[in-house]
Amino acid sequence: MFEGLLVDLVPYGKDFLDRENEWANAEASFWGSGGDRRVVSRAQTQARLQRWAEALESGHDTGVAFGIRAKDGTPLGFMGLTWVLPYHRLAMLGAKIGDPAYWSGGYGTDALLLVIDYAFDWLDMHKLWLTTTGFNRRVMRQMEKVGFTLESRARRETLADGQWHDGLFYGLLRTEWPGRDAKIEQLGLRVRAEG
Amino acid sequence: MIEGKLVDLVPFEDDFATYFEQWMNEESWFRARVWERREPHPEDAVKKFIEKMEKNEHGALIGFQTKDGDPIGGVIWDHEWTRVRKVDAILFVGDMRYEGTDEALDGLLMLLRYVFETRGVHRVDAAALAFDEVRIEFYHRAGFSHEGTLRQHVRWDGDYVDLELFGLLEDEWPGYEQITAQLDLQPSGIEPKPKPEKKDEKKNGSGQQPG
Repeated sequence: MFEGLLVDLVPYGKDFLDRENEWANAEASFWGSGGDRRVVSRAQTQARLQRWAEALESGHDTGVAFGIRAKDGTPLGFMGLTWVLPYHRLAMLGAKIGDPAYWSGGYGTDALLLVIDYAFDWLDMHKLWLTTTGFNRRVMRQMEKVGFTLESRARRETLADGQWHDGLFYGLLRTEWPGRDAKIEQLGLRVRAEG
Repeated sequence: MIEGKLVDLVPFEDDFATYFEQWMNEESWFRARVWERREPHPEDAVKKFIEKMEKNEHGALIGFQTKDGDPIGGVIWDHEWTRVRKVDAILFVGDMRYEGTDEALDGLLMLLRYVFETRGVHRVDAAALAFDEVRIEFYHRAGFSHEGTLRQHVRWDGDYVDLELFGLLEDEWPGYEQITAQLDLQPSGIEPKPKPEKKDEKKNGSGQQPG
């Protein structure tokens, strides 16, 4: 649907849903949940996906889900708007890359730039925001790089491996966004030959 | 009922449900519920909200009233995140004569007492629109720390308004007895409202349900 440099954003369909249980039990889930260590069965994952599908259908879930797909077709994870409030023109972002081999390689940032453009240029959002935790250095670096502002720090909000950590709130206003092309130029992102 | 210094926490039913049809359509409701769309709430929507909160396993809507039994408004704890023992706290004043009074502040303190001292939470989150000075002052008096500002976060009457975020941790909560003693809460002396007319009586004259 949207073509990036390293990845494309595509519908979050069967290829992705089939990986959900594996990702739910993997390290990605720890980072995505702010410190939870989940041990979930296939049936539990199936039930969660069922609830999600029903919420989307009934309109209770106002989000937009994309799959992040590598150029060779590998499903990498989720990128999307997890909570959209049209009357505030405000959308919350959420992302997850299931396989650690694809962390810190620019795949997530590539997908993020695509979804930011989508939210501003197609859904006419005024602001995008997201939350992460004070121990998630990868996301913090990514936010600074892409141009988000750290707006709030919820003290000792979450527990990870026995330690309390702050929750971080990042925001990006439409007026602060130069557009994907300009951001790619600014960050010097390039298409890479794989393998 | 949980008894406090100036107010008591009571089930959100009877007179509260009657008043709520008015309260839920007034500005104070939307100031307290910053994520909601500004829209009219007919009787059905009000009833559904109460029912939804009654079924909510991660939160509750609780009424608070003066010692004379005069309903003031509601307190809500919600989105309880059990793994990290965290809740959102919301105070709304329905009877605006009590806006900014120590009774209203006591409603917030009673909510904090309940979540910290009964439910055992670790952290309470609270939010206020940047112009809502009365609410922000209440948070400060209750011991919350201002943790940040979500810029231009909420659409309000033609503008984007900042949302101020606050947090209070269990080891910062001195206990209800201590904080109410420190704050020296004083009753406002506001006269209780007359009891609302019962809906059934209005509809059926005799007050009895048909058949």
